[in-house]
Amino acid sequence: MIRREVKLVNRLGLHARAASKLVRTASAWESDVFAVFNDRRVNAKSIMGVLLLAAPCGSELVLEVHGPDEADAVSALERLVAERFGESE
Amino acid sequence: MSLVLTGIGATSGIAVGRVHRLTAGELAVPEYHLDADAVDAELERVNRAADRGQAFLGDLIERMGEDSGGTARELLEAHRLIMRDPLLLDATCDRIRSERINAEWALVQQREQLMAQFRRLDNEYMALRREDVEQAVSLIQRELAEQPATRVGAQVPHRLDRTIVVALELGPADMAILQQRRVAGLVTEHGGPMSHSAILARSLEIPMLVGIHHALDILEEGESVILDGHYGAVMAAHDESLLRHYQDKQELTRRRRSDLKRYLSRPSRTADGEAFELFGNAELPDEFQRCRDANAVGVGLMRTEYLFMDDTAPDEEQQHRAYRAAVKVLAGKPLTIRTLDLGGDKLPRGLALTRGPNPALGLRGLRLSLSVTKLFRQQIRAILKASVAGPVQILLPMITGLAEVRQARGLIERWGQELRDEGVPVDPDTAVGGMIETPAAALAVDRLVEELDFMSIGTNDLIQYVLAIDREDELVSYLYEPTHIAVLELIDRTVRAGHSRNRPVTVCGEVAGDEKAVRLLLGLGVRRLSMPPACLPAVKKSLIEANAGRCRELVRRYRANEIGQRELLSGLDARF
Repeated sequence: MIRREVKLVNRLGLHARAASKLVRTASAWESDVFAVFNDRRVNAKSIMGVLLLAAPCGSELVLEVHGPDEADAVSALERLVAERFGESE
Repeated sequence: MSLVLTGIGATSGIAVGRVHRLTAGELAVPEYHLDADAVDAELERVNRAADRGQAFLGDLIERMGEDSGGTARELLEAHRLIMRDPLLLDATCDRIRSERINAEWALVQQREQLMAQFRRLDNEYMALRREDVEQAVSLIQRELAEQPATRVGAQVPHRLDRTIVVALELGPADMAILQQRRVAGLVTEHGGPMSHSAILARSLEIPMLVGIHHALDILEEGESVILDGHYGAVMAAHDESLLRHYQDKQELTRRRRSDLKRYLSRPSRTADGEAFELFGNAELPDEFQRCRDANAVGVGLMRTEYLFMDDTAPDEEQQHRAYRAAVKVLAGKPLTIRTLDLGGDKLPRGLALTRGPNPALGLRGLRLSLSVTKLFRQQIRAILKASVAGPVQILLPMITGLAEVRQARGLIERWGQELRDEGVPVDPDTAVGGMIETPAAALAVDRLVEELDFMSIGTNDLIQYVLAIDREDELVSYLYEPTHIAVLELIDRTVRAGHSRNRPVTVCGEVAGDEKAVRLLLGLGVRRLSMPPACLPAVKKSLIEANAGRCRELVRRYRANEIGQRELLSGLDARF
């Protein structure tokens, strides 16, 4: 299992659109993906779960990825967060 | 609020209660328990609804194109994910299994739980997220709904007997659900006294005000108000003496109503011994029972537009069930079913035709049925199938000439034969009648009567077409005049045509339920009236106490221009 800490740098944090991108990216891999924030651990393939994290901009999020393609999954997720979920700023 | 807001009273009733503001996006949600063997089908149903909802959004997303609407696309994608989310869908399925409740109810409960979690988060973006979840859930609800989707929803408490619902406008399905929950009163910003919801409010005996501008802005949630339909006013209920005054008035109305009920068991004869027959109008299941309770001879007008308010048209079987259920409730009393009387622009999605430049004069009523015969065939077959369960007759709306009637009768004949060939029993004597509601039909009535087994005068449309007045148009509605001589001439003509050929003529429409106007109709020789069941007691009292001979004489003198309108009305109103 890989644990990786990521920082949300997009303006709105994990709002609906960002959450949906995170979920879709996570869902593309076979590995289980969990996101942890503020002692809350949710299935990152569930948009409701991710929305319930209510992680604002600047939050430190922990991604836990476990499965056959975990290395690729983690780097894809990290890239998505670093690129501000494709938002303009 | 310390003000009095005024609009138009759709009904003259009084209601006292607390304000509930109905906002857009709320949906009607049926709630029931399942038998053990129905659980699997229910799981399947909710999954399919979610699939369809997702497909619907996918379709939208596709149509937006690659390069446009980036933000909107992403939002729709999010909603699509929410629909499939295990926290929503799996959890809903768990509820269906463990609590044995229907999908809609389980979905509401699960949504409420998620909302509660969201609320605890207390985050500035929460409003957005709650909205996302609500919209996604309501899409699934919409797919689940076999009834027309409505705004009245899960947030609306189950018991509304001390509640005044305030809304922008209310659809027929909203009204049905609010009535089931025994709402005390209704206030809408839009609509006039003749809009569909106002007519329904009268029929369902719900105090209602329409045209209260900015009601949603001004009335606060939970605020105590008094609704006075007679004065078209809604006012704050702070003042003890005012409140007492209205409570007394309510009590008086209640007593007057139970007083009137005594007339229901009396024979239908005027003071000078002429017989008359009173029928009820009904479309909601409840109303058929009310017609029976009011001792109506039968149902003189069952509108069917209701069944077509949903996004998908009801199929033959669904329609058949609705008609059959009505026949059963009436237990042998005759039922007149009017075929679809919608404009082409009001058809369900998928069937919608292009809107003509003037819907009132466009493809509507029978014209529409004859141009979309697939729809007409379904409806006729459904009615004919129900005809063996009890006396049923078919009423054709918006006819203007012989050719249409002949064409419709030919089709009905053919489809009846088709059913018999399939081995489905139908009543071979199902009568076919027509609405006389256009000037053309009324003027050509001597010919039409040869092709019609019975006739119904639809006064609302007839008055509108004869006087060239849109009754919903506030600027000209003052000209809407049921006693206009032109209207009376056409009613008289129709009554005489029916009489000479021995065809029953019934008046339906607002005037038939107006205790004063019915004496005018009596004077014109009308002996059959169909009205909302709520109006029946007062109309019956008015007719029982009327002298038909005198009414006839007054109307004759008015038509001969010997007396004026005022003299006519006061003469008709007099106690005999």
